[in-house]
Amino acid sequence: MAILERHFESVAIQGGELPEILLPTNCPGCGIGLEQVELRAHNYVCANCGHHFRLGADVWIPLIADDGSWAERWADIRSHDLLNWTVPKRYQETVETLLDEGLNEAVRTGTCTLDGKPIWLATFDFGFVGGTLSIVAGERLARGMEQAASSRTPYVLISASGGARMQEGVLALMQLAKVNAAVGRLHESGVPFFSVLSDPTFGGTAASLALLGDINIAEPGASIGFTGPRVIKQATYADLPDGFQSAEFQLAHGQVDLVLPRTELRPLLAHLLEMYAT
Amino acid sequence: MSVWEIVELARHPQRPYSLDYIRRLAPDFIELHGDRLSADDPALVGGIGTWHDRTTVFLGHQKGRSMKERVARNWGMMHPEGYRKALRLAHHAAKFGFPIVSLIDTPGAYPGAGAEERGIAAAIAVAIMDWFRIRVPIVAAVIGEGGSGGALGMGVADRVIMLENSIYSVASPEAAASIVWRDNSRKVEAAEQLQITSREILAMGVVEEVVAEPEGSASADYDAAAAALDEALDRQMKPLLEMHPTDLMQQRYDRFRYIDSLVHAEPHFGPKI
Repeated sequence: MAILERHFESVAIQGGELPEILLPTNCPGCGIGLEQVELRAHNYVCANCGHHFRLGADVWIPLIADDGSWAERWADIRSHDLLNWTVPKRYQETVETLLDEGLNEAVRTGTCTLDGKPIWLATFDFGFVGGTLSIVAGERLARGMEQAASSRTPYVLISASGGARMQEGVLALMQLAKVNAAVGRLHESGVPFFSVLSDPTFGGTAASLALLGDINIAEPGASIGFTGPRVIKQATYADLPDGFQSAEFQLAHGQVDLVLPRTELRPLLAHLLEMYAT
Repeated sequence: MSVWEIVELARHPQRPYSLDYIRRLAPDFIELHGDRLSADDPALVGGIGTWHDRTTVFLGHQKGRSMKERVARNWGMMHPEGYRKALRLAHHAAKFGFPIVSLIDTPGAYPGAGAEERGIAAAIAVAIMDWFRIRVPIVAAVIGEGGSGGALGMGVADRVIMLENSIYSVASPEAAASIVWRDNSRKVEAAEQLQITSREILAMGVVEEVVAEPEGSASADYDAAAAALDEALDRQMKPLLEMHPTDLMQQRYDRFRYIDSLVHAEPHFGPKI
């Protein structure tokens, strides 16, 4: 990244100050004692070992968007229980509890600027039912992509998702088709789509939009795949090697273009936006 | 009939499989093999046949009847090569203007290490996206199990219908139980909760039609089941053949773009079909 550093040292590694997140006392990667302020300034990447902490949408948005530029869209559309889902907990209750906690669905989207350049941004939120693709998540993604295509605005996606949301049944599965229809139109429009895969990206999210970026960027150590390792072991009794389905594994198997530390993400995106200026 | 009894009928070892239907619909069917990249996936059969006087491309998941064949066909669970073969044949159909019939009968895409190594997620993702660019009519039918992304990877069509005793689900009942309770033995509860029967899927607006099966289910009378499927597929296909490809593409986009609008009454939720 020496070239980028030379050209883009002016691009901050975060757009605004990031909110605090819940942290363990010691780094799960190396065991070193963690300092919230220090870690926050480093995009929640351990300076000692490079462990990338999982971030919610509330952190990703200020990390990517220039301070004060974020305009969220369709934040008022809500998930509803369609299947009378009661187990192990009523789905309606699950959704309402998470909303009360200040989360707003598994995908949030809107417009912002990144180093002054306008983009559409969509970010998954793993804290909301495992970042699962729901009707509302799919709707926000599809609408944003349609608008990005018609306004010729580059589209940036941050993924962190377990796949489709069980509690919305086959309609959650249909979101793969709904979203990919929109991804197809985004590609046809010639607008660049940069897809950032964070830990974890699995199932229906990996099998729809996350791996369809014009450029796929994975975070170091992120788990990325279709079927989770627990299910693979149950189904095939296979021993899975170390690093199976890691970002580095996906790089070696041709699925992602680069594995990039989070501290270099924003300068790279700024550089790409310049290179792919529409 | 209980939900689990329907699941068992959908998975019945004597249930007709894709080739049982295709050979009755198009007796001159010629199977075409391979993805033109590296392999041929026997879990998905594809080829051409004459159906109602039209050359038609048929695609279908194929389970095995004997243990040996089941192993060879991987129980109808596709690898990445299968999706690449399907799209290769779809582009073939589009080149010659042949309509496509896709028969769905899979527990899901193959949940194994090799499939992951060769990019199963991206293969399904690309397939789902590319079906929206195939400029010929497509009718899909769920004939047994419509399992998860593995099924949807073959299920982006202008019309989708289901046989009466088939199921369509975001995840197999076992996988859903494993995800929700971390206990795949609670599959019966999961199946009930997921709403996977043809009647429930029809009520959600996800399929256009449920095709009645003969007395005692499709397993009891292959010829009658095939005749019923033939009639429904042909009736769904006919109006599509009259459409201009541009309109067909827009209609296919809208079909999936607003597929959830029927059940969603929320006022802010946006455009309805």
